Amino acid sequence: MTRRQLLALVVAAAIPSAAAAHHSFAMYDQTKVVTVQGAVKTFQWTNPHAVLWVLVAPKDGGAAELWPAELPTSPGNLARMGWSKTSVRPGDKVVVEINPLRDGRHGGSLKKVTLVDSGKVLAIGPIPQAKP
Amino acid sequence: MHQSREFGASVLQRLSRAAAVASASLLLAVGAAQAQTPPPPGELNRAPTAADWAALGHLPDWSGVWIPTPLVKGGPAFDEPPAWTPKAAARVARMRAAEDAGRPDNIYVNCLPEGMPSFDLMTLNAAEFLFTPGRVTILSEFDGNRLRRIWTDGRGHPSDPDLTFNGHSVGRWEGDALVVDTVAIRPETFIPLGQGVGVPNNGEAHVVERIRLTGPDTLEIDTVITAPHVLSKPWRSRRTWTRKRDRSSDIVEASCRQGDFLEDTDAEGFAVFTPIPKDEGGAPLALPSPQTAK
Repeated sequence: MTRRQLLALVVAAAIPSAAAAHHSFAMYDQTKVVTVQGAVKTFQWTNPHAVLWVLVAPKDGGAAELWPAELPTSPGNLARMGWSKTSVRPGDKVVVEINPLRDGRHGGSLKKVTLVDSGKVLAIGPIPQAKP
Repeated sequence: MHQSREFGASVLQRLSRAAAVASASLLLAVGAAQAQTPPPPGELNRAPTAADWAALGHLPDWSGVWIPTPLVKGGPAFDEPPAWTPKAAARVARMRAAEDAGRPDNIYVNCLPEGMPSFDLMTLNAAEFLFTPGRVTILSEFDGNRLRRIWTDGRGHPSDPDLTFNGHSVGRWEGDALVVDTVAIRPETFIPLGQGVGVPNNGEAHVVERIRLTGPDTLEIDTVITAPHVLSKPWRSRRTWTRKRDRSSDIVEASCRQGDFLEDTDAEGFAVFTPIPKDEGGAPLALPSPQTAK
């Protein structure tokens, strides 16, 4: 595949879809966990899902690659789990556990993030005191 | 009304200015008279009395913010699976296979209201119940802060209601339980088994909810769904909700698809949203180049 064909494929795949909004997470492989390490680019504190964007340095060197880690819930629920919009800030060094996209593209659904400097761990879990 | 206005405009063009003003005044007067026609007797929402407000204090205490029990494998809990018609069962099997293959056919698209019974069965978001004379209002973070109105003033369903996603709901108290009867749900509204698995009710759906406290801070919504075109018998799902009273749990704004956009600034310095590229299932793939970098 030429570079141009690859680019065309990537562009075609990246055309915004019909506004899925509240979407299934089936595109993420729930049976696999991938851990990536990098620096936070931005933390998108949005409904219906928040997204943590992390710049990950490839193991074999080269320029950092951007990985989206989609959180499976909203700021309202995340606040009830102990998160806030400043839980992670741009530039923070983080280790992120995700269920990866099945198709091998960079990205996944976020399971847990550890802030390297403070050791603080933020996870997606039940809302405290809420009946399981 | 729109047609009569167009007709009126074509006539007015042939009249003198004075006559045109007089005709327009007449049209306005007719319109105002129509708007002020009182509704038929018995269909007024009467002003509540002090006794009506006081009576609310004798109802069960549903105050606070209610958190739904997590879904089971991404879908609603049930004792017995839905008795789908063969055609609906085939659709469910097809959608389940697509989801298992990682190509979900999302049922909640384009930010159309998710409606009933998804409001009960699929939400993962908090809700609150407001009691005022003659109605119970459910406010939720679900589905972009959508709401439900349950009329408790003794009225029935309209004889020829407009179909809506949440339908038309009337409720009555049976002891400590609010029994809610909902009809007039749009046929395209899904009976959901997951975000990517569900069947449109195909019309004439009827939902009965029995909502009651089951403990000091637990509330159960027992939902029975009748959908004669896709279910061969009524299907029941029950869900427990847990009360939170801390202010950090208060209901917040929840838009349907803000997350599809990046906060950005345009070339003129205005705060704008820029679309984020997504895959066909809705997963974010890349950050768009900020407008300011162009």
